[in-house]
This record gives sequence, C-alpha cells and structure tokens, in this order.
Amino acid sequence: MNHTLKKNAVDDFTLWSNLKNDDQRSFSMLFERYYSDLVNYGNSLSPFSEKVQDCVQDVFADIWLYRNSLQDHVVVKAYLLSSVRKRIARLFERDHIFRKTTSTDVIEFLFDFSIENDLVEDEVTAERVLYLNKLLNELPSRQKEALYLRYHQGLSVDQIAELLNINYQSANNLVYRGLLTLRKEWKGSIPLIVLFSGVLHIS
Amino acid sequence: MQKRNTYTDIEDFLSDESFQLWILSKVDEQGWEDWTLENRQRAKLVEDARLLLLAMKVPNTDLTSNQIHEALKSTWRKIEEKETDLRENTSYSYTFRYWLAGAAAILICFLSVKFYQRNILADDSVITYNELIEDNVEGLVEQTNNTEKAQTITLSDGSSVLLQPDSKLSYPKIFSENERKVYLSGEAFFEISKNPKKPFFVYANEIVTRVVGTSFRIKAYPDQQNVEVLVRTGKVKVKSNDLIETSKKEEIELFPNEAVRFTRNSLAFNKITNITEDQILVKSVGNIEQLSFEFTDIPVDQIFKTIEQAYQVNIDFPKDKLQDCRLTTSLSDQPLPEKLKIICKSIGNDTNYEMNGNQIVITSQGCN
Repeated sequence: MNHTLKKNAVDDFTLWSNLKNDDQRSFSMLFERYYSDLVNYGNSLSPFSEKVQDCVQDVFADIWLYRNSLQDHVVVKAYLLSSVRKRIARLFERDHIFRKTTSTDVIEFLFDFSIENDLVEDEVTAERVLYLNKLLNELPSRQKEALYLRYHQGLSVDQIAELLNINYQSANNLVYRGLLTLRKEWKGSIPLIVLFSGVLHIS
Repeated sequence: MQKRNTYTDIEDFLSDESFQLWILSKVDEQGWEDWTLENRQRAKLVEDARLLLLAMKVPNTDLTSNQIHEALKSTWRKIEEKETDLRENTSYSYTFRYWLAGAAAILICFLSVKFYQRNILADDSVITYNELIEDNVEGLVEQTNNTEKAQTITLSDGSSVLLQPDSKLSYPKIFSENERKVYLSGEAFFEISKNPKKPFFVYANEIVTRVVGTSFRIKAYPDQQNVEVLVRTGKVKVKSNDLIETSKKEEIELFPNEAVRFTRNSLAFNKITNITEDQILVKSVGNIEQLSFEFTDIPVDQIFKTIEQAYQVNIDFPKDKLQDCRLTTSLSDQPLPEKLKIICKSIGNDTNYEMNGNQIVITSQGCN
C-alpha cells in the first residue's frame, strides 16, 4: 500500500505530455515513480520475478519507442498496470515452459493475503483478523486481484474494469462481492453488518 | 480533508491513502485518531476498516533506488536495441535468420561489443536472435536463463544443452523429420546425440554451425562484436548465414581444439588453430570442458558428483546400496541422458534414472 505521491511532485499528466514531446527526464521520472508498483503487480501474476522485471522494462521501452502515437488522456498508472498485465499474459501464451497449464486463459492472481502481524496488538484483534484473512483467501482469484488493484494499487472501479477487460458492473461486482461474501460468512457478528452496510450504494 | 466526514462505509476508508498510512505506518498527519474518537459509530467503522486492512497484506518487494536505477539503465539499453531492430526491419524484410551447426564439436560464439556500438555495424549485416525466431514456423519453446548458474535443457532427441546465465535458447518441442534446428542468444554447451540422418544446426547471430553428433559450445551474446566457435571433439562446419550478402561464401571446417572467430562488422572468419594461445578463448573455458568424464575404477558417488558439477543438476541416489560400487567408463562424448543411461546400465539391470528439470533420481538395488 504505497501510494506515496509526494505533494509537490510533478503530476503524472504533465510528465506524460512531456514524455510525448521527447523529454527523457520525464520518462525517467515516471519510471522511477512506478517501477516498484509495477514489479509488485507483475509478481502477483507470475512466479518468475526476473521475467516480470523484463516485462515491466519492455513496457517502458515500448512507451518510449512509440511515444508519438500514445494517447493524450490516460490515467498513467492504470495504463501502466494494464500494459504489464498484457505483457505477462503474452509471455504465458508464448512460453510453454513457464506455463503451468495448457489453457490460454492463463493469468491468475497468485498472491495470498497475509496478516500485518506487527500491527496486531491484542488477542481479540488477532482472532478477528485471522478469520477475515481466511475468508479473504478463500475468494476466487479474480476477486482477490480486483481487491488488490482497488486497495493496494489505488485504481478506481472504472480502471479495474478496463484493465480486466470487463464491464463496469462486473468489475464492481468483483470488488464488492468479495466484501459481501465476507459479510455473509461473518454471521451473527453485528459489527460486520455495520461494516458492510452501504457497500452496494457506491458507484 | 473534510471529505472524510461524509464517509459512510469501510470502502471509503480503505481507499483513502492517508487512512492507510495511519493504520499501516502509524503516520497520522491528519489527526485520524482524534477524528475517530469524536463519534462512536464512526469509531466502529474505522475499527472494521482497520481489521480488514490488517488482514489484507500482500508481499511487497521493495526495490532499492539503486535497483530501480539499474532497471532504468537496462531499459534504455533495450530501447536502443529495439531502435536498431526497427531500422533493420525497414531496410530488410523481417525474414532474417541465422544458423549455427556443429558436428561432434564444441563451439564458442563470442560477440563482444556493447550494443550502442552496434550502430557502427552495417545494419544490413546484423542478424538478431528475434529475427531468427520470427522466421521459424515450428512453434518454438524458449528457455531463458536469468539465474546466476548454468541450466541443463534436455531436447526431444536426447541431446543436452547447458545454458549459461544471460542466455536463451529456442527449440522446437519435437524436431522435424529431417533436421534439428535451434536458435541461441548467449552462450551454451551442446552435447548432441548422434544421428547422421538428422543434422543438427545452431543458428547464432550471422553464422550457422552444423553438427551430426556429440558436443560443442557456443557463446553468442547479442551485444558483442565477435562470434566465436570452439570445437572440443568431433568435427564442425561453420558458415555465414545465407541471408548475409558477402562476396565470398566461406565454409570453415573445425576439428577438436580448433576455433574460429567471426568479426561481425567485417563479416570475416579468422581460424584459430592453437586455442591455448588465444587469451579470450582460454579465459572462457567452461566448467564442463575442464571436467574429465574418463573414469577408471571410480566410486559411483564421485561420478555423480562430477555430473552434478558439470550440469548444475542434483542427483539423488541410494547411497547405502551404491557405496561399494565402482565403475570404469568413458562418457566424454555423450549427452547427459546418454551418460546416465550408460552409468545405470553399468551398475546393474535394476538401476534406472528419472530426470525432472534439474532433479535426477536414481533408483537401484545395488551393483552387479
């Protein structure tokens, strides 16, 4: 959860348009800003971290090479995450050795959610967090990926829909059904009902 | 900042950066603590959002700024490489290929110039690995070695390839009926199973090496200026790729312990008959070439150790059952599967091996 956009840093949009006008410094700044996030996301989709870094670098290389034909109005981070996902999907399709199955619907979210143990101070909290964590990890891979993109990479539901190539409603379902499932599972716990009330009203 | 006063459910909190920062890093610049305590229902919501955050940790490889800097540098290198490729593709059609094949031999292809210096090279005469691959229609499998150790690949014909770090090899899952073709970028040691009816070709940069059997080593990094082929055993033929237009079509024949250096910008072959006098070649002799596979009355566990070292594999065998077994055998010329087969056969009829990646398991009831 490292969205550390410094307040006085140049915004993405400015860097993006400078880059389109052949400014190498802006390119480097965007690279430095997002490389880690992209590698982390890539690692959630492929267990081969060297290849992931290679893919992320290829994404940036192509951005520079084809900078003249890039769109003007993009949400830079969403665009980058989406490009990395496509790259890795392509890698899976081409690279039989690194494929686990023969299916072409290959991308799967590999991360398990774990517990911030250092921040759990008492037993009641520990118990509840453990239970929530178990429920989270029982969610289907796509729902986990949607939650990850929403809360760890800070994408909006719109952007998630585009990235996963699904419509808004499906993306919305992916993000919130996960939470709803949690609510259903957590029967008899009043706080959780409070916790998830209103979840459906988000748009 | 008073946006948070309108928050009505945990989703609002979870997606708030400063909230995350407060929970996970205990940085509370915006007074979350006091704000939470103002209202009981609010406190409940905040607590639930907190629990969810604590249960939703993901692995996070934090790269150092140094690592990011290195990555940026290598990205610029990729860009220049691709720019060169793009230029080539416009002046030529992209049906380039390169091939190398060697027979009963060790080949080293050695290219040694940083890729930005490649701009000096005549564009038309440079063939890249990617172009070679694109030209092949057999449905290639690519293996890249990004680790720091050599990796052993076993091909469908029983040949073995020891792929060095920073190198990649493309090969068909199953070879076609009348020839065997593989594509190399970087360095590899090949031990080719003998089959005179199916010559083996290695394509690397601008040259092609042809083999019918045995072993050879190739070193062909895309960013280096020379391609070198070094033969250890058997006979190898090397020529330039047909796609390069040179006035003279040379074919170099190499015998054991001979080498050839191909200079990429002049397209010239230079044969080296005494490899011990060539500093570059002497330095690049690999582990596997120094190890002897001539065994005279040697305990099998030592033979397995030699193989482990040469091929960077792990061998698991029943130590107690084989502790008194000794073998006399010559395995220098054989690919890895062949070596294992011979060893198993020599130990006894109930001895077998199974190979899975770099893991080899020997099952045995003891020696004859």
